[in-house]
Amino acid sequence: MKALEKLDAHVKTRLTDLSKAKEQGHKIIGYPAGGYFPEELALACDAIPICFIKAGDNDVLSDAGAYLCRWFDPFWRSQIGYLTSGQDPYYTIVDLIVVPITDNHIRAFSNTLGYYTPERESFVFGVPHVKDKLALGYYLQGITRLKKKLEEFTGVTISDSRLKQAIHLGNRERELLKEISLMRRSDTFAVASKDFVALNHASFVADKALMVEILESFVKELKGAAPLPTDGPRILLTGSTLAQGDSKVTDIIEESGGVVVMEEFAEGIRPYWNTVKPDGDLMANLAESYFMDRLCPGWFRPGTERLDFLIKLAKDYKAAGVIWYQLMYRESYKVESYFFPDRLKKETGLPMLIVESEYDAMETGPLKTRIETFIETIRR
Amino acid sequence: MAQYYDDLLTLCGFEPEEIEQERPRIEKTFERLGIGPDDMHTADQWVRQNHDVTLQGVRKLLGAWLKELIDVVLAKDEGKKIVYFGFPAITGPGLMLSASSEDVFVCAPDMVLDHTMGQIFNKLTPILEAGEANGLPPGHALCSLWQAKIGGIVKGMIPVPDLALASSYSCDMGSKADDLVTAQYGTPIAYIDGVMDSHWGEYPDYLPERVQYLGAQINQALKRAERILGIQIAPDAWERSQKYSRPFVNNLLRLLELMRADPVPVSIAELELLEALPGSSTGRGIREGIKGMEILIHELEKRVKVGIGATQKGAPRVMIEVGHTSDPRVTHLPEDVGLAVPLTFILSWVGGPAIKIEKTYATPGETMAAYELAAGPFHGTDAMIKRLEMATEVMKLDGFIKNSLYNCRVSALSSHIAKKYLEEKTGLAVLSLEIDDFDSRTHSAVSLRTKVETFADMLKARKGISDGMRKVHKEQDLAKQVGI
Repeated sequence: MKALEKLDAHVKTRLTDLSKAKEQGHKIIGYPAGGYFPEELALACDAIPICFIKAGDNDVLSDAGAYLCRWFDPFWRSQIGYLTSGQDPYYTIVDLIVVPITDNHIRAFSNTLGYYTPERESFVFGVPHVKDKLALGYYLQGITRLKKKLEEFTGVTISDSRLKQAIHLGNRERELLKEISLMRRSDTFAVASKDFVALNHASFVADKALMVEILESFVKELKGAAPLPTDGPRILLTGSTLAQGDSKVTDIIEESGGVVVMEEFAEGIRPYWNTVKPDGDLMANLAESYFMDRLCPGWFRPGTERLDFLIKLAKDYKAAGVIWYQLMYRESYKVESYFFPDRLKKETGLPMLIVESEYDAMETGPLKTRIETFIETIRR
Repeated sequence: MAQYYDDLLTLCGFEPEEIEQERPRIEKTFERLGIGPDDMHTADQWVRQNHDVTLQGVRKLLGAWLKELIDVVLAKDEGKKIVYFGFPAITGPGLMLSASSEDVFVCAPDMVLDHTMGQIFNKLTPILEAGEANGLPPGHALCSLWQAKIGGIVKGMIPVPDLALASSYSCDMGSKADDLVTAQYGTPIAYIDGVMDSHWGEYPDYLPERVQYLGAQINQALKRAERILGIQIAPDAWERSQKYSRPFVNNLLRLLELMRADPVPVSIAELELLEALPGSSTGRGIREGIKGMEILIHELEKRVKVGIGATQKGAPRVMIEVGHTSDPRVTHLPEDVGLAVPLTFILSWVGGPAIKIEKTYATPGETMAAYELAAGPFHGTDAMIKRLEMATEVMKLDGFIKNSLYNCRVSALSSHIAKKYLEEKTGLAVLSLEIDDFDSRTHSAVSLRTKVETFADMLKARKGISDGMRKVHKEQDLAKQVGI
């Protein structure tokens, strides 16, 4: 598809574009995955938001081993490896790193940033683990401090009109991703999961306006495209993180004849289900959308909202089975993976397979055996 | 009439009249825990092997844990409404609930199981295995303290609680495991949320909104607890909840003063019995613990006077971060290779620099929140490491053993940073040791020994000690010789 080719070309030259943008005085704001950094705030002060989304390479974990023990989520250890080794150019090009603190795995990254790389300017703010008025208020205070920091850092005041413009752009991106995702509820559809995931990953580094243009073109192309062969079992894939470069599980599912119709991930997939209200108190609207309205990750307490939503997704997307992709040592997800299958079975009749990874090449064989067996079982 | 357990309970500091008075409760408890006559010999040997039972104070402390065990096992039978809180905990809310109604029983049952089924009966493994088989499998670095709690519930040893006070402010796994209990048993949860979002270098400062948020969450959780338990928090609950905290702290300060002596008068494994007690019990355990401490203080004063210690005089002195809750052999390890351990980091919270808050607050929640942020553990890793640095100043030390719990993200966060930071800031030699402080199956004393022994040899060489100084295994005999 032409839109994807255009996106690919854009991403390939993105680092060069960013260097030029820096020369022109634009600040580049890096932030780790998780979806709690309102990109609109960066856009509204003429800065460029870049999300660190790459992982899957086991060698980087060895680099991280000099800074932290291994009992942390490999995605976050990867970020520590990239941060400290300079192997990911996106880490070296950013001017400021903003870390929304969610769980202890992200704290590990934040600690490394603060202690081992004090020369890197950073800003942290907290994301509460429960959804109530107090928590919403705390998150709003955090992003309000962030707004002030970004204004000071860029020298640009974030006016309501600037913020509104950025919100419109962000909303359009979310709406288009949602539109593409919803197409897959149908029995026949034209977008492959790997393309949808690639769109998501690209959206974390691409120029926002161009990304919206590409998504619009892509939607048009999809409407005229031939449907994909979808005779294999429809799979709902879920977990904490689906990083760029971590395609092992999705590849095996495809190779085994499964069709991923939905990817529910807190890190690596943009929260696209809701938009930000563009009128009234815009900061409050950002907080409402980014914290209260968005689907909570597994580390929220309780995690019921996400589990309810998974049941709904399984029904809406007519899944034949659920694959729970667990990154090792992400304990919140591990504990939920114990009691969720019973509920899923009870409410949908669907089976669930739990697969685990630490980004190790040795895992491929056992993963393949398990996924193939699962797909063969549900195909019958 | 005397029963099979009388000798063991006497060894653990029970008075004959206490045993007589409690006999029906003891028997019911032991039956539920699967403890019978066959377990007595093992328990007796295990306690004597690991604890200095020539000290009546130590025996009383073991007894305090056993009494807490009896109370938690029978709480449901005795009509109590049961509240469990997670560990590490902000204990204030639990203490306030406990102080507000005699019908409410509040504790951290996992710690109680560790200190009794682990330290006294050496029967923790089946409980841990039950936890592993019921939601917290091995091989995923999941918390073994939680495995004990889930295992205890699954095996019917401890009752299903009426309410969980979830420690959502620091530990991701604890609150999620509370969700597991809810999914399996329908237990309601009062979450106390907080966010550890300090930037590196911020401690001892903290944002006022963090106190407001954590404080409001504590107040909100207390309101929810009132509704669920059908009680009212007494207006003076906060003051009443401090009734036992103050004498406990005062006694601990006196004990830590005695630990400054050379030789250190008692193994740190005995003071470990005090590390978790105020964070686990809000009832009889803490009250009995205070009595045990008073006896121990007098006994150690005598030892210091005549120079009796757990290790030889002049032994290199090290601080460990925390003692082992279920297997004292791990706690003894540094002493076994000739290091004196006068202090743990946990105990240094009491014995170290005073924790002060800058202003007074209108609600107990905010007051507790401010103290917790000032104390460090719920502030951030930076704060924890700075508190470690301060703690090293409490005792004259030659080294530090930073034992990080591999399966506790909060502890493991500082696994590498703490060593580098402390070596640079204090000049002390630091051994970073990966352990599991609640379960010694994979991190046993034997498996850790080589590292600790090498570290000890290095410290001895630095001090010019050439012989193979080892733990004084005969301190009881020495004590007898001088008439203590």
